Amino acid sequence: MRSMAERQAFPLTPWTAALIAMLIMLAVLFLTPTVGVLLSSIKTTRAIALGDLWSIPGELFLGNYAEVLSNPAVHRYFVNTVIVTVPATAASTALGVLAGYVFAKLPFRGASILFLAIVAGMFFPPQVILVPLFRLFNGVGLIDTLWPIFLVHTALGIPICTLLMRNFFATVPNALREAAILEGASEWQVLTRVAIPLALPALAVLATLQFTWIWNDFLWPLIFTQSDEKRTIMIGIVNLKGQYTVAWGVQGALSLIASLPTLVIFLFFQRYFIKGMTMGAVKG
Amino acid sequence: MERENRFWRVVLLFLPLSVFAVFVVWPLFSSFWYSFTDWNGFNPDYAFVGLDNYARIWTDRLFYGAIINTAMWMVAAIVLPTLLGLALALLLDRQIRGARIFKTIFYLPICLSAIVVGQIWTWIYQPDWGLLNAIISFVAGEPFTHAWLARPGSALWSVIVAWSWQQTGLSMVIYLAGLTAIPSDLLEVCDIEGATPWQRIRRVVVPLLIPSTIVVIALSVINSLKGFDILYIMTGGGPFHSSDTLAMHMYNESFKKYLMGYGSAISVVLFLIALVIIGFYFRQLKRIDEIYG
Repeated sequence: MRSMAERQAFPLTPWTAALIAMLIMLAVLFLTPTVGVLLSSIKTTRAIALGDLWSIPGELFLGNYAEVLSNPAVHRYFVNTVIVTVPATAASTALGVLAGYVFAKLPFRGASILFLAIVAGMFFPPQVILVPLFRLFNGVGLIDTLWPIFLVHTALGIPICTLLMRNFFATVPNALREAAILEGASEWQVLTRVAIPLALPALAVLATLQFTWIWNDFLWPLIFTQSDEKRTIMIGIVNLKGQYTVAWGVQGALSLIASLPTLVIFLFFQRYFIKGMTMGAVKG
Repeated sequence: MERENRFWRVVLLFLPLSVFAVFVVWPLFSSFWYSFTDWNGFNPDYAFVGLDNYARIWTDRLFYGAIINTAMWMVAAIVLPTLLGLALALLLDRQIRGARIFKTIFYLPICLSAIVVGQIWTWIYQPDWGLLNAIISFVAGEPFTHAWLARPGSALWSVIVAWSWQQTGLSMVIYLAGLTAIPSDLLEVCDIEGATPWQRIRRVVVPLLIPSTIVVIALSVINSLKGFDILYIMTGGGPFHSSDTLAMHMYNESFKKYLMGYGSAISVVLFLIALVIIGFYFRQLKRIDEIYG
């Protein structure tokens, strides 16, 4: 294994210079779409329609943001999204801790098959459970409330949360648990007093991943809610697209505001986020 | 001791397993059941129609179109994010000043929602002032106003490019993780033996990245099967169903036409395709584990 620091620093040769030039070009290409929204959000619709979207504006136009932030519908979308995202993130992480702990520390016959079956759940397209869930929630009168979104996200978070927590708890030495149990601690005390305090970094990984996915989700609120009062922010973007048909600047400002929570989390917890993504992908 | 362990297993697993069973496993199996019915989404009652829904799949031209589009999406998913992600990882796997900033830039799109990504790219493809047409007009020297998303020939591919833009960062990160696992002695030997950088990449690095490649390709294919949100906002499956995928077709039949029984039959097909890919993926992962520990 080698680390970044051990690697040789490249001397500046034409070869490295070309590489860096290529990287900068690709980075510009990758940033362009995001910069485009940013630019649109600080320009008037007139300027955009005249084909002036891609230039750096001389002055900052904040009317689009004012328009979005003063729209009561946007407030509602935000509140609804928070009401769903925060509890569902907490609940799925908690359930993953419980299941992951058993799979790591209390293995039983058939555990690996059960574990595999749960983990497989994270790879299936959500469409395969759409109709029965719609019928279930319709039958109990929960359609057009936020409950089904919360419940389904909690359930669909279990595979990734169980996977990452099992992998984490597997790295906690068994001797720790045995020592605590010899001291007279119950399994529950081992979990809450020993294992969970050690697992805080893993919990941070999960919380950032889950928060981002649930916040960004579109399909479940689309299926389970109907009235504008219950819509979440991603549906709100699509709905307001009709209201602001050609007000591209307003749409851009709304998209940015809607992405702000996940952008902030990403920029601050990038390391955790990426770790979770790669672990979830590779350590199946 | 073992009795206590058994007690705690049951207590700790009860909640996660029951939530998972009720909201994931049970609906999965019910989908099979509903695929044999004519439930319309409103009536509590439905009739059992046997294999009618599956017979209908055979004659549904839209279904064929959706299958072909999904397959094209998968092929593009193998080529675009995989190759680009590999190239970026190889470029960034060295001590370049600012490598971390570059990584952040390439990875950033993954934290955006598909809806926002779709919105952004809708503007790039906008016929009158979109960036793509602006560049083409500039290069060609004459006005170019192709409506990328409104033409059956280009709609699907335009969405796939936008989607790849978002997925590439994920592939890059997995390749970067794979690259750190390559022993540095091996690369030093290359230098001592006088291998050119290109030879080193082609003959040593890329072959050693095969496990990462399997993961990247499997993930891209699986994610392409889920292609829905970004299509919904960019084209809605149109024009004339030219960009429908299976996931989109299933949604349309179930929630636009309220043919929930037929939609369930499509979801069963979707499930079976996913099952094959996931089974293959898990087997390869096991093999990777055996080889590389």
